[in-house]
Amino acid sequence: MSLFLHYLSLPYLITGAWFTLAVTALGLGGGLILGLVLAAMQLSRFAVLAVFARGYTIIFRGTPLILQMVFAYDALPQIGLKLSAVGAAGLALAANEAPFIAEMLRAGVLGIDRGQVLAGQALGMTPSLLMRRIIAPQAIRMMIPAFGNETVSALKNSSLASVISVQELTLRSTQLASSTFDFFSIFFASGLIYLVLTTGVSVIQLFVERALDLDRPATENRFARLLPWYRAPLALQAVASDPIATAQPEEAATSRDAKVSRADRTKRSAGLAHNQVVVDVSGLYKAYTTQPVLAGVDLTIRLGEVVALLGPSGSGKSTLLRCINHLEGWDAGIVKVGGRRMGFREDGKPLSPRALAEERAVVGVGMVFQQFNLFGHLTALENVAGPLRWVHGVSRVDADRRARELLERVGLGNRAHALPRHLSGGQQQRVAIARAIAPNPAVLLLDEPTSALDPELVNEVLEVIRRLAVEDGLTMIISTHQLRFADEVADRVVFLSGGAIIEEGPAHQVLTNPRNPITARFLNAMETDRPSVAPA
Amino acid sequence: MVPNNVSANFSKSLSAGRLRAVAIAAAGLIAVCISAGQAQAAAPAGCAALQEKYPDWKGKTLVNAINPHTPGYEAIDPKDPDKYVGFDIDLGEDIGECLGFKLTYKAVTFAALLTTLSSGQADIVISDIYATKERAKAADFITYSKVFDGVLVAKGNPKKINGINTSLCGAAAAENTGFVEVPLVQDMGPKCKAEGKPEPTLQLYDNNADCIQAILAGRADTYVNDVNTVDQAVKAHPDKLEKAIAVTIPYSVGIAVPKDKPKFRDAVMAALILLQKDGVHKELLKKWDLDPNNFKEPDILTVN
Repeated sequence: MSLFLHYLSLPYLITGAWFTLAVTALGLGGGLILGLVLAAMQLSRFAVLAVFARGYTIIFRGTPLILQMVFAYDALPQIGLKLSAVGAAGLALAANEAPFIAEMLRAGVLGIDRGQVLAGQALGMTPSLLMRRIIAPQAIRMMIPAFGNETVSALKNSSLASVISVQELTLRSTQLASSTFDFFSIFFASGLIYLVLTTGVSVIQLFVERALDLDRPATENRFARLLPWYRAPLALQAVASDPIATAQPEEAATSRDAKVSRADRTKRSAGLAHNQVVVDVSGLYKAYTTQPVLAGVDLTIRLGEVVALLGPSGSGKSTLLRCINHLEGWDAGIVKVGGRRMGFREDGKPLSPRALAEERAVVGVGMVFQQFNLFGHLTALENVAGPLRWVHGVSRVDADRRARELLERVGLGNRAHALPRHLSGGQQQRVAIARAIAPNPAVLLLDEPTSALDPELVNEVLEVIRRLAVEDGLTMIISTHQLRFADEVADRVVFLSGGAIIEEGPAHQVLTNPRNPITARFLNAMETDRPSVAPA
Repeated sequence: MVPNNVSANFSKSLSAGRLRAVAIAAAGLIAVCISAGQAQAAAPAGCAALQEKYPDWKGKTLVNAINPHTPGYEAIDPKDPDKYVGFDIDLGEDIGECLGFKLTYKAVTFAALLTTLSSGQADIVISDIYATKERAKAADFITYSKVFDGVLVAKGNPKKINGINTSLCGAAAAENTGFVEVPLVQDMGPKCKAEGKPEPTLQLYDNNADCIQAILAGRADTYVNDVNTVDQAVKAHPDKLEKAIAVTIPYSVGIAVPKDKPKFRDAVMAALILLQKDGVHKELLKKWDLDPNNFKEPDILTVN
């Protein structure tokens, strides 16, 4: 036992542990850099890079680390690259760790919900901005346990550096055992030193996980709380009360008002007909393999118009909306927003993803998704204010002020610091609407905004959309199954079936007196929600 | 220094060592290579002339690749593990002093000694390595010592092994990867077969400590290696191990130098001759309690 303690505190072995740490640090640091490059190459849209990265991964993941160490140490000098033993070991470990770290990074990035990416794109974020602000922060949280594992594994793998004369813990233990013959005391001691090191890694991992845990009560700066002079602020937030969600009776009254004013709305429609064109779709054709999803769609939307897109599932409503802000490509036809042809340069060549993102931001097409797609790692306020700062270069103060105003408008002023996961579906969708209208878009696209909501939450969202139409005169295209809502809010109804517009016209007229038999059959099937035939 | 009683010395130095250990336990990362050993007595008179004749290495620091698992020849000093000590270490330092260079050490596995030399990661190998024709394809050797092997067995020699002969049939022999004893044991295979006995099996390890542990753990029956190493092992575990017999094998121990540096080889050879004339070689054998019969006048072994 005393021998064991002697070896445990022997500077010779402790110094060996430092070498172990040095090799591990080089291996992980280098592996992280190489791994980032590899992952970027594999996720890149250039096939050559992906193939190269694949090849590297096959070679370095498929050969033993011990061979790679000997290679870095004995073969590289032949081409004039003579690294120190620690350097060679670090290089070999880095080269070996890189494919594993790259796969971790790739899994983290691919594990991010596709909706997060779509929402970011729709807000006009460039690919690099999207990676930095949306994907990376969420992926890193998911990757920390795997990275902890990788660190422990690298720490243990560094013992293989003993074959190329790195004076690390294992080599020093065997040398000491050879000269003293105290085999077991020495190896128990060095085993314990390894355990202390790996336990240290685990503690750091837990600490980082805690520090990045979104569910911990958030403050402005989560690292400030670690400082000794930090004092928690007093909670001044009012107990949540939700003016819109609790405003059901009043809301019912509003919809009655809407019906009463139908005569006014006919007049309004006549006025709209002279407004300038905001969205102009002509001959839009898109097919998956041979099956057309959009079979030649022509559609014109004028300033201030609210258009309801109706039609059975699979009729092409969502695809049409996604084409309008170029989240999806198409095969033929032209989409113009604000007079500008989307997705193409002046000379007719397609835009790069980056230029496309900038175009979206400039032209101003806001989008609200069925699944809300709020950024999961950001508070309600940041979901609205963040894109304003990152995409439109608004100052923090102005972005926050605008975000607070909008949250107030959608009745969520008191939930500004809540994370999406702590909000109900209806609340999330209201934040998503605030986010979409924050940059003052020329047109707002809403893709079945209430389909994913529990029935009792539908009205609070519809009420927000109704106000945007009535109070703001915002140009909107809404795909929906809410016929009563379409009747009350939309100026025009467009009915899609099989990728083509089969009927369109003033909302009340199409909904109550359809001419096309397919429209009639669809409306009959949705009888329960159908507006009454007689005008109120 | 009384090297033949390593463990006794070691336990006496325990408490002082621990104090020191605690004192500098926080020491950080230090230099990769640690120079070892104290300079021996003043260099022989002829060294000045040699340094004039071979000036290329004067004032340089060269790297000596060693497999420091052989107490008596090269191992870390149990009292100060940052140092290497042993006959080969002293001899190398003396040659260096004579030619005007200093040595640092690079610890590698036995099998990696010559690859380390030929990849340029080391300048010289003085590590109880036997000069064979096979190895001379990778490096030039200056031989300096005869070879006596001991047969290490468990106490009582339960398998009655008495040399590198058919007494090995059916036994398990532990050897280091790359040792010359490996083919010698393998050669017994056909002979055992001819006598209708099972062939000996070989277990390959990376260092002496592992080979000795293999016998202590009952995994191997014998370990044939340099007689001094065997004696050291028996001293460390007198109740568990014994030396069955000493045998001569037809090799010499050599200093390995790169094949493309004949001038360096000649300089080392000249310095070694000078040291032998001056009696340094025999003094070192005595100092490290090695058999004076090991003494051998140097030769060069080189093949193309």
